[in-house]
Amino acid sequence: MTRSARMRFTAIAALAAAALAACGGGGADSTEAGSGPVNGGDLTIARAQDIISMNKTTTFDNDSIYVMEQIMEPLFTVSADGTKVEPWLATGYQVSDDKLTYTINLRQGVTFSTGQPMTAADVKFALDEDTKTGADGWGYINAAIASVNVVDGNTVAIKLKYAWAPLLADLSLFSNGIIPNNYGGKTADEFYQAPVGTGPFVWDSWQKGQYVKVTANKTYWGSKPHLDSVTWNVVPDANTRKLQVQSGQVDIDDTPDWSSFTSLKNAPGVNAQTFKSTYEEYVTFNEQRTPFADAHVRRAISYALDRDAIVKTVLFGNGTPANSLFSPGTPYYDQNNGAPTFDMAQAKKELAQSSMPNGFTTTILINSGNPNEASIAQIMQAELQQLGITLTIRQLDPTANKQSRLKSDFDLTIQSWTMDIPDPDEWTTFVVDPSGGSHSAFSYYANPAVIALNKQAQAETDDAKRGQLYAQLQKQTSQDSFLAYLYYAPYVFAMTDKVKGFAVTPLGNYHLENVYKTN
Amino acid sequence: MPDRFRFIPARLLQSIPVLFGVTVLVFFMVHLLPGDPAVAILGQTATPDRVAALSHQLGLDQALWRQYLLFLGHLCQGNLGQSITYQRPVSGLVLQAIPVTLSLLLFALVLSLLISVPLAGLAASAPGRARDLGVRFFTLLGQGMPQFWIGIMLILLLAVNLRAFPVGGYGKTWPQHWYYLFLPALTLAIAMCPTTIRSLRASTIDVLASDYVGTARSKGAAGISLFRLHVLRNAAIPTVSIIGVNLGYLVGGALVIEKVFAVPGLGSLMINAIFARDFPTIQAVSLFVAVFVIVVGILTDVVYTAVDPRVDISKERS
Repeated sequence: MTRSARMRFTAIAALAAAALAACGGGGADSTEAGSGPVNGGDLTIARAQDIISMNKTTTFDNDSIYVMEQIMEPLFTVSADGTKVEPWLATGYQVSDDKLTYTINLRQGVTFSTGQPMTAADVKFALDEDTKTGADGWGYINAAIASVNVVDGNTVAIKLKYAWAPLLADLSLFSNGIIPNNYGGKTADEFYQAPVGTGPFVWDSWQKGQYVKVTANKTYWGSKPHLDSVTWNVVPDANTRKLQVQSGQVDIDDTPDWSSFTSLKNAPGVNAQTFKSTYEEYVTFNEQRTPFADAHVRRAISYALDRDAIVKTVLFGNGTPANSLFSPGTPYYDQNNGAPTFDMAQAKKELAQSSMPNGFTTTILINSGNPNEASIAQIMQAELQQLGITLTIRQLDPTANKQSRLKSDFDLTIQSWTMDIPDPDEWTTFVVDPSGGSHSAFSYYANPAVIALNKQAQAETDDAKRGQLYAQLQKQTSQDSFLAYLYYAPYVFAMTDKVKGFAVTPLGNYHLENVYKTN
Repeated sequence: MPDRFRFIPARLLQSIPVLFGVTVLVFFMVHLLPGDPAVAILGQTATPDRVAALSHQLGLDQALWRQYLLFLGHLCQGNLGQSITYQRPVSGLVLQAIPVTLSLLLFALVLSLLISVPLAGLAASAPGRARDLGVRFFTLLGQGMPQFWIGIMLILLLAVNLRAFPVGGYGKTWPQHWYYLFLPALTLAIAMCPTTIRSLRASTIDVLASDYVGTARSKGAAGISLFRLHVLRNAAIPTVSIIGVNLGYLVGGALVIEKVFAVPGLGSLMINAIFARDFPTIQAVSLFVAVFVIVVGILTDVVYTAVDPRVDISKERS
């Protein structure tokens, strides 16, 4: 669909929905009788994309990840508020005095869905499997690990190359999920076509382009799942998903459009909810292009952005203006870091001190077919005009857009980030350290003081001291304004009244064993 | 009889260079698009080094002509290659989607005939009168409304308000498939009807005014049996070729409708493949669509020849 067709489509859908809401109304049968979870039933989740693969070490899309997390579990998991690491398949750990060896005790009595008990050999195999993928997979997340050793049947020792504070957070990543030693005698390819783990659900079937289904693990070590099965249906069109949840054909609509969020909230029998996330949207300056190596220019633009207006237009008010390199759902977030807020007078002052006091002409690269980025770019266009900066909007489809960023072929662009682990390091190393591989999220920002702070924080295991280092880092990056922070957006789900217990962590994952459906 | 159908082998031979042209065009057009599959696969974690490593692993760093020859060589052996996104043979993905799209098209064709034939007969039986105007108004409406809008309106009315049909999807068993496909097929049928009705109405009016119908009438034939026995077969001849051409266009329409109704057919496969730069899948689907259009073209001529004994395409060509 072309962009204008899509806009028309959305407009018509919104009109149709309004008409529907007007003639519908009343008659919601919310029977809140009989408290306590109900067992049984199939939970159906509609979402835009199909899964791609169940190979936990080389798969990067969230749609696949959220399914595999129901099947394969890591040693540690993220707390409900997304900021702490809690033991999961592990029960505890000890750190050596030199901070280079972590001895991890495994939970006893855990079995794979095949009935085999989980042992230290399985853990070693699973972690090594991930480490081995290196740059081709998630292996880089284990870069600090020198070796994983079996101590006895219920204990492993992880030796590090250097002191590494984010280790437990890294172990909580799905890519370090535990699978049977040697893939249970299969090849990797065979294994991941029907993966086996210790999780609350068991792989059932995948009809590509249509649905993927998991069923309850009857022998799960933890609290048994209430549902019999969970099915994720592929429904590419947001409007169709919305109507499906309204008609009760599916139980959950994963990520409805913001434009339809309010009407879904008011629809009878539907419960539209937002969950705290780590999603941050920001503008990247390409410092290889003039005049963006000049911090005054970057600060001027950052001051000129009316983030409240952007939140109102793009998210229909369902978000907050961003004020740090970190999102509030990220550990060590510090809001008092002096990030630029909307102030046109300050923006003009900064530009006057810059190498381009009279303004200039530049471009912003956005994804075609993305109404959010189009709105942001249009608002920016109007605001920067007041500084004498003429902004031209350049649209490319998502893959071509990414290619341009990789080739550093852009002036300004809009990007976003969500965290995968409850530790800021995944993000800071990607975004401030050029050795992170992305040239500081394609900005070519390289401040030696910030890079040093990031390295120090990686090695610092004292929580309070680490917090101070990250506070300093947030302050300095805001001062440098190498990104213009735009907004934090929550996750959004619409579900029928019957769905209970569904919650999403700020990292985007969900534990479906606690979910049930009332009749 | 066989003589008149001798054009078929020749037409099949002619389609080979056409298909070859399609592979060349599609292959080089998709590779002209900026952005490679490795970028799409790696998502937010893409860095230049990791993109290069993955591209190498996928064989995407080889010269383009080499990749094309490799593709052509595999194709001649009946191998469509591996989907880059799924790392599975493309043939499996396409074979799974083909019956879905074909059932949808067939269902739409049947529905459109069920709607068109009676309406055209009704309109032609009294040109210029109220029922004719009613039918003509309907065709105007059908032609003027965009397909996806018809789809949404049908969903709102029949699925959300009346809850008689599901809002998109495909179901798991064959009876369910037909039930789920009814609304998208009806949407396509409504889009297809106007041209069929118009053509059928016009030719029916001509036939009704002809001498042999006068003769049939004088022998006592009337009403539906007159329409069925004497009028329809003669009036259908021009409509057959229109339906054939329409079916070709309909494939394109089906791709959009599949998205609105979440039907996991070729359209959904194609759209995802384009965004992910899954070259082998894009090539396989376009190749199939090309084959489909060619086959429909030939079938149209076959039906045309079968319906009208006077037609002899083999002779016209020689």
